[in-house]
Amino acid sequence: MLMMEEPVKTKTTTHTPVPIPQATPQSAVPHSAPKELPAPIIRSEGFCLYYGKKAGVKDISMDIFPRSVTAIIGPSGCGKSTFLRSINRMNDLVPDTRAEGVLAVNGVNVYDRRINLVNLRQQVGMVFQKPNPFPKSIYENVAYGARLLGVRGDTLDELVENSLRHAALWDEVKDTLGKSALALSGGQQQRLCIARSLATKPQVLLMDEPCSALDPIATGRIEELIIGLKNEYTMVIVTHNMQQAARVSDRTAFFCMGDLIECGLTKTLFTTPTIKQTEDYITGRFG
Amino acid sequence: MSTATQSETKIESPMLERPLLLTASQNRSGWLLSHAGRTLFMLVTAVSVVAVALIFVFIVREAWPFFASRGVAEPLGSTAWEPQPHGGNADQFGMVAMIFGSLYVTAGAMILAVPVGILAAVVLSDIVPFRVRQAVKPVVEILAAIPSVAYGFFAVLILAPLMQTHLGLSSGTNAFNSMLMLAVMAIPTIVSVAEDSLSAVGRELREASYACGATRAETLWKVVIPAAHNGIIAAVVLGVMRAVGETMLVWMASGNANRIPGPWWNITESVRTMTATIAGEMGEAAVGSMHRHALFAVGLILLLFSLGLNLMTEWLLSRSRRKA
Amino acid sequence: MNIPWRMRANSVFTVVALLSVLLIVASLLVILLPILWRGGSAVVFRGTVEFRRMQLEQFQRGDTAAVRAEVERAAGVRRHAYEIIDRFSAGLDTAGLETKARQLHREFGAQLRNRNLDDDDIFDLRELSGELRDEFLAALESSDNAEALGHLETILSRTDDERRLHGTLAAAFFDMAREYRDVVGRVDLSHREEYLDSLQQVKEAMQNLLGPQSSERLPAIVMEQYGATRWDQAQQHLDHLLWSETWVAVVPGQPLVKTRAPMEERFAGTELAELFPYVRDNAEAMLRPEWTFYWRYFLDDSMSGHYFGGVGPEILGTLMVTVLAILLALPVGVITAAYVVEYGRETVMIKALRMCVNTLAGVPSIVFGLFGLAFFVIYLQPKLGLPQGSSILAGGLTLSLLVLPVIIRASEEAIRSVPPSYKEAALALGASRFRCFVTVTLPAAMPGILTGLILSMSRAAGETAPILFTAGVAMGPIPTSIAQPTRTLAYSSYDMAVGDKMAMLAPHNQFGMVMTLVAVVLILNITAIIVRGRMARKLRGR
Repeated sequence: MLMMEEPVKTKTTTHTPVPIPQATPQSAVPHSAPKELPAPIIRSEGFCLYYGKKAGVKDISMDIFPRSVTAIIGPSGCGKSTFLRSINRMNDLVPDTRAEGVLAVNGVNVYDRRINLVNLRQQVGMVFQKPNPFPKSIYENVAYGARLLGVRGDTLDELVENSLRHAALWDEVKDTLGKSALALSGGQQQRLCIARSLATKPQVLLMDEPCSALDPIATGRIEELIIGLKNEYTMVIVTHNMQQAARVSDRTAFFCMGDLIECGLTKTLFTTPTIKQTEDYITGRFG
Repeated sequence: MSTATQSETKIESPMLERPLLLTASQNRSGWLLSHAGRTLFMLVTAVSVVAVALIFVFIVREAWPFFASRGVAEPLGSTAWEPQPHGGNADQFGMVAMIFGSLYVTAGAMILAVPVGILAAVVLSDIVPFRVRQAVKPVVEILAAIPSVAYGFFAVLILAPLMQTHLGLSSGTNAFNSMLMLAVMAIPTIVSVAEDSLSAVGRELREASYACGATRAETLWKVVIPAAHNGIIAAVVLGVMRAVGETMLVWMASGNANRIPGPWWNITESVRTMTATIAGEMGEAAVGSMHRHALFAVGLILLLFSLGLNLMTEWLLSRSRRKA
Repeated sequence: MNIPWRMRANSVFTVVALLSVLLIVASLLVILLPILWRGGSAVVFRGTVEFRRMQLEQFQRGDTAAVRAEVERAAGVRRHAYEIIDRFSAGLDTAGLETKARQLHREFGAQLRNRNLDDDDIFDLRELSGELRDEFLAALESSDNAEALGHLETILSRTDDERRLHGTLAAAFFDMAREYRDVVGRVDLSHREEYLDSLQQVKEAMQNLLGPQSSERLPAIVMEQYGATRWDQAQQHLDHLLWSETWVAVVPGQPLVKTRAPMEERFAGTELAELFPYVRDNAEAMLRPEWTFYWRYFLDDSMSGHYFGGVGPEILGTLMVTVLAILLALPVGVITAAYVVEYGRETVMIKALRMCVNTLAGVPSIVFGLFGLAFFVIYLQPKLGLPQGSSILAGGLTLSLLVLPVIIRASEEAIRSVPPSYKEAALALGASRFRCFVTVTLPAAMPGILTGLILSMSRAAGETAPILFTAGVAMGPIPTSIAQPTRTLAYSSYDMAVGDKMAMLAPHNQFGMVMTLVAVVLILNITAIIVRGRMARKLRGR
């Protein structure tokens, strides 16, 4: 387990945000992190995303560190999914979005005009709320991303097997790779989606409430899987379920009404939250 | 148990091979490619627009000489249609009888088709269980799919002799025959559009009415049908469009006599429609003759008529959609 | 208060509504079943030996030896019938006898001159021959048995003259008189005219039933070279042979009434009477009907109008026009739909496009025909260096515009109904927008697009009005290029129902044509319904 000792980063208010000095222009590459900490793989500085006139998230500044699990929690509509989907630019599907501030992956602002979306999305994989395998065979599902990279033949078979093993699904499906993925159970489908993302060899895996459509047993297996994958991948998981956040994540960020309220080590945040709002939320007084 | 930590299958970071930023040339060519693709798509998409424009241009172009030399008073003010000058008599192009014929058979067909169509739509949306509905819908679809020439064939070779022998008519091909067959042809259109709009009326409305103690007939009659009335009117208008534009059936079944029936309600007389006139006479109208221009003029009237009905349906359907 | 009344109203409403659905189902059956049933008889029927002979001679199919043997066997049975007719008509055919008598007199005169007799003798003998001739002609002319017999007896009583003329040509007058006396004994001369008419009818019916006698010269028209090729047709001709129909004014001033009387009665007491029971009882042996499945009906070209043969060229023409239309409309339709869904925010342009598609869908089919004539046939074809006339190309182009809205709407709906999660997943895996559409959205939308495609094919195959002036001909050779016009199922169905008088003689082929058209459309539609059902099941999860 990687534990990062870093002071809890907070924002002081929610209703009238204090303007944080916007020192970073859009094109500038963010500075590197302090020596004693691993460099953050994702860094957000003053990031805002607007749907038309309405802000989805406002002024988010936080770091996400490699080979760890970061959970994003918060009440419905607080912008946690919006933030997550901004990291690999999935919000582009929504018409009329506009971004401000910096959201950098490996030091490259993803909202740069010159961004290579294909490479970005292959390196920042995503798993969705509802398992969404393609209506194709299990094999084809996993191979889809790799095929886009031009992987063929034996290498592809190997990659598919590796990815399925990583996703702890290989033993269940190795004999039925040609069958339709839609015939799998919900939990298996979700693990297949994870395997599918792993097949493009990403560094970061974004998970948007990956267990909300699953039963408790399937949820347990996904959580085990997340903990197991932590040594190799950076994971960001949005969840409604605070127990889940506490179980699987190293660091937790709490969003509310489009603002980042508090972000820090999970242990600290769940035991001694510094902000009243966070405490209210995790103790179940609202949300 | 987690199997994710097998070190031998560790996936190495491929960062270097896959830079996150595009080079300037990649960026440029990507931009070009996506815009070229988009433009190409747009051009293909424009085919429909161009087609509609061409249809109007060419029909108007061919019809124009007629209106230019004859005006509108003659075609819309007389029933005498003598397209070829003969025996010293000048050609005459009165279109009143055929316009009347078109509207006449359409109206007759609608009187038959609308009640049946709407009732059937009500049955499908509200009365029968899902399974029956799944079985009946294909029947309606097939009824809509049978080619009009097959309906015409039935009208001429089966229905017309029956009418002659059993109803004692002198000719089996008459307005009544076409009305019957047109009704059968228009019913599927009416059923499917009306059923869609009836289904679009929410469950809540029905439940509210049942909760007030209304019977099913009352619920349908007083709540559901009024709520869906825009869609139902649109269904009828679409049925009218199908009937007015129908060619082969009326050409074969209506008897093609260019006159207004004796007493106007005598549906056993032969009539002729605009579509049948075009179909029947185009073959003998020489290129560039006034006869041909006159037929195109009839086509233009048809086109404008269907365009008007079309706009009306769209307006109605958009209103019903907005409500739903 | 008035609950029972309301309940009753409710039940009445339900029943009436259900009746309307029944009415729709019933009308489908009433229209389809006769067409399919009677059309089916063009393919499955009891074919006679004449049919097999026709297939052998016109289409070179079948076992020559077997058919020849069968024809021989049938001819054996037929021979007796022809003999009866020959015998009867010999007695009745007074026109022939008359000519023969006159010719006899002339030739006798020529013979006398060659004999070197003196002029008086010649004159006497000629006088005598003339008397005999006149007497005989008077007998022939008379329509009263007694009177004719009187004339004949006058001839036969002149036994001296017979002896005197013995060995000359004129002696034949006595033989003819004797023969004719026999006929007069058998036949009621007062009905002779009637017999002649009826005999003509009988001969015609026999010709229709059995074809020309092998001794006769073959008629030039193919349809007259064969008797009834089908047993149902044979029974009709048999009916014409056995029954005579007349229109009689039962009540003066009222329409005539058709009455039927057995032909046998008309010839009662004559030799011919024997023909009718013979033919009736031996019709099967003469024609040898056998159940035939004429599947080549769908491949064969037709002959003598549509009297013989099948609908092969019509199916081919329909296929060519339809496939051309679909090939042109499908890419345009799918790309338009993709554009509308993928790039389509409700901009002015999309709205205009939608309106154009709706307008296009509402244009009456005959107006498409007019447009095709004005634009493709008259304007465009000369520009492409093609002759200005109907062609498969013009028909295909016209129909492609007709089916374009159908394809656009079906494709749009299909693409829209692909769950957005598929698209998200593909994009999140790094697929470009285009890649994502081709590899994920399009395959998932394929069943829907396919359904639209099949339905628009059925629409294009069934449309007649647009190809009236752009591609269709009623008769013509099989086209060899798309610049030529073609026969199609829809156009020929129309033509055979209304335009073609010859087709009335072969109702099975009339119905066969429209049955083929309806069958094509039904098969396409049922396929579409099945494809859609599969798709719905798949979307619900396998």
